[in-house]
Amino acid sequence: MSASMRTYIIRRLLLIIPVLIGVTLLIFAITQLFSPVERASLYIRDPRQAKDLPSIIKKYGLDLPVYIQYFRWIDQVLHGNLGWSESTHMPVLKALITHFPATAELALYAAPLTIIIGILLGKLAAIKKDTAVDHATRIMAIIGWSLPSFWLGIMLLAIFYGGLGIFSPGRLSVWAENLVLSGEFKVYTGLYTIDAILNLNGAVLLDALSHLALPVTTLVTINIALLMRIMRSSMLEQLNKTYVIAARARGLKWKTVIDKHATKNALISVVTISGLLTAGMLSGMVITETVFEFKGIGYWAAHAATQLDIPAVLGFALFAGTIFVIANLIVDILYAYIDPRIRLG
Amino acid sequence: MEAILRPDEQLRVKDLVVRFYTYEGIVKAVEKANLNLKKGETLGIVGETGSGKSVTALTILALTPLPGKVEGGSILFKRINGKVDDILKLSEEELVKLRGREISMIFQEPNAALDPLYRVGEQVAEAILSHRLPEMLDRAIESLKEELKNGNGGFSSKLQLWAYNEMKKNPDALKLKLVKKLPIIGKTISRKLNQVVRDEIIGLLRLMEIPDPERVVDSYPHELSGGMQQRIVIAIALACSPLLLLADEPTTSLDVTVQAQILDLITRLKERFGASIIYITHDMGVIAEISDRVAVMYAGNVVEVAPVIELFKKPLHPYTKALLEAIPRPGASFKSIPGTVPNLVNPPSGCRFHPRCPHAMPKCMKEVPELRRITKEHYVACHLYGGEGYGKHSDSD
Repeated sequence: MSASMRTYIIRRLLLIIPVLIGVTLLIFAITQLFSPVERASLYIRDPRQAKDLPSIIKKYGLDLPVYIQYFRWIDQVLHGNLGWSESTHMPVLKALITHFPATAELALYAAPLTIIIGILLGKLAAIKKDTAVDHATRIMAIIGWSLPSFWLGIMLLAIFYGGLGIFSPGRLSVWAENLVLSGEFKVYTGLYTIDAILNLNGAVLLDALSHLALPVTTLVTINIALLMRIMRSSMLEQLNKTYVIAARARGLKWKTVIDKHATKNALISVVTISGLLTAGMLSGMVITETVFEFKGIGYWAAHAATQLDIPAVLGFALFAGTIFVIANLIVDILYAYIDPRIRLG
Repeated sequence: MEAILRPDEQLRVKDLVVRFYTYEGIVKAVEKANLNLKKGETLGIVGETGSGKSVTALTILALTPLPGKVEGGSILFKRINGKVDDILKLSEEELVKLRGREISMIFQEPNAALDPLYRVGEQVAEAILSHRLPEMLDRAIESLKEELKNGNGGFSSKLQLWAYNEMKKNPDALKLKLVKKLPIIGKTISRKLNQVVRDEIIGLLRLMEIPDPERVVDSYPHELSGGMQQRIVIAIALACSPLLLLADEPTTSLDVTVQAQILDLITRLKERFGASIIYITHDMGVIAEISDRVAVMYAGNVVEVAPVIELFKKPLHPYTKALLEAIPRPGASFKSIPGTVPNLVNPPSGCRFHPRCPHAMPKCMKEVPELRRITKEHYVACHLYGGEGYGKHSDSD
């Protein structure tokens, strides 16, 4: 790694701190939309406890000045205390950790597939502009872009699970779940496909993969459209540039010009939008996990929200915000890695 | 038709027609253009924006920009092996060998002609490795043998020697591709070759009068000034000593002082490399300085061809006269050519210059004037003059 790249990364890492502070401020601001009485009422279950409200407000400092409440909250967050999730009967942090592997497993397959297929198809559509391939990808993009993910998910379930009886919802079939609970199958990462490989258990691997097929398909279909279209237009723009003519004029083969020069330049805009893609993935996750009963963080957050489990929703917001910030950090580093004008500028 | 060039000719563009199929209609960018170029000669092509000069140059490399299409004519070129080929009929495989090796090009905006993501050295190396790989391999092998003889070389020298000998036999061999993918070994293998190529590039940059070439070779295009970038583009173009250099307004985007330096450099390099040059510009001053002969283009037609001195002293075509009068002179009032460059979707009938021509006759609206010979080397496409057809003289000469 060059020295310029190192300085760039350090500078970019330092920049995360103010961004994360901004994220916490925004999330905290949401809680302030409710009056102290409203927030205190979340702690009671029975109308007869209403007389306890003033003491609850006092106990949790809900009537203190806003900035003090904020610092108290930040102090707790930094100590790993994100509050109690009533809907799942466990601390929010524990709920996040419990549900994280499922979401990570979905992302592990959906994100690379979206990126690789999206880039390849976009590139192909640009090179073969106005041919059948180009039109096919355009139709795919329109379908992917305009379909609501919940509808696509339900349709896939109706066809493959309802109709053909394959690809059931959930993360594992009952027998596999029992195997995992029995302790015979060691859980290392919580990502069942990886664990199955580590346990050398082909049956569980296949079962986990068959449960991943539909949610991953949904996420990829929804998110690929934007990526594909950006790659196509960016590639077309690059192919018209003088440096492409110049590269051919010095005797490079067309394939080399495309793969070495045009594609790399076209990737810059794809990298730029992949930050947005992370946001798309996160919101797609909530819906997809809910539709497919895939018990990850999105599923948990959606259920917590319907039960007015405010600490859980705030915990999810904090989690999503952090993921988004990290994703954008990676995007910026990639950006600098590809483009010398960024890292030296 | 047999492809024939006179012994002293390098290139002949005959009745070239290039059209662009756009939504607004068919743009007739180049219409029956005729040009010829002698060996070692510098031909200036002058004309306004949109006169078809750049399209003609790119078509000589068979790189007509889309949605352009060559609709007729031929481009005869005397190859490095002495054979005469019509560039428009060559296969892409042949063209890849020709481009950069026999004909190369320098561009109007050096900044745009370089890929911003690669170091300039890498981009010069592309030209060298595309056409001079065997030569570079020989040098690397030579140097490795030397090392081994002196007892300086170890296993890595032997490994590289093996790889280069294999590369000479077949650079695309599968086993070479596999070995290059190996960690450490892959890097080791290209070490000597890279060094040889790098030395060659640094030598080339020094010829381009680039200060501190050891540093510049590792720079990215955006770290260099416009003048330096243009020197790099010229270095790429001359890396394989081409027979013909196409210079498409190479100084237009540069500062005036840098312009003079670049012009000077091209003139000197021409002597060193012995290439023929087609120099495209709209600047009559530059034309006067650099070219032996001049072709004037207007709206896709070549309207006048003459030796540079004769053209300036005795211009024939009304457009050429107007162009020369439009050169600003101190004291004199500024003269412009009345009217505008015609829309090439619907060009004027007959002579395309007739709407702006002070001498227009009824015939000019109906009949397209042919490029005709007036004196030995002076040709003009205008109904005001007689003369014999352009294509005919080559048989009688």
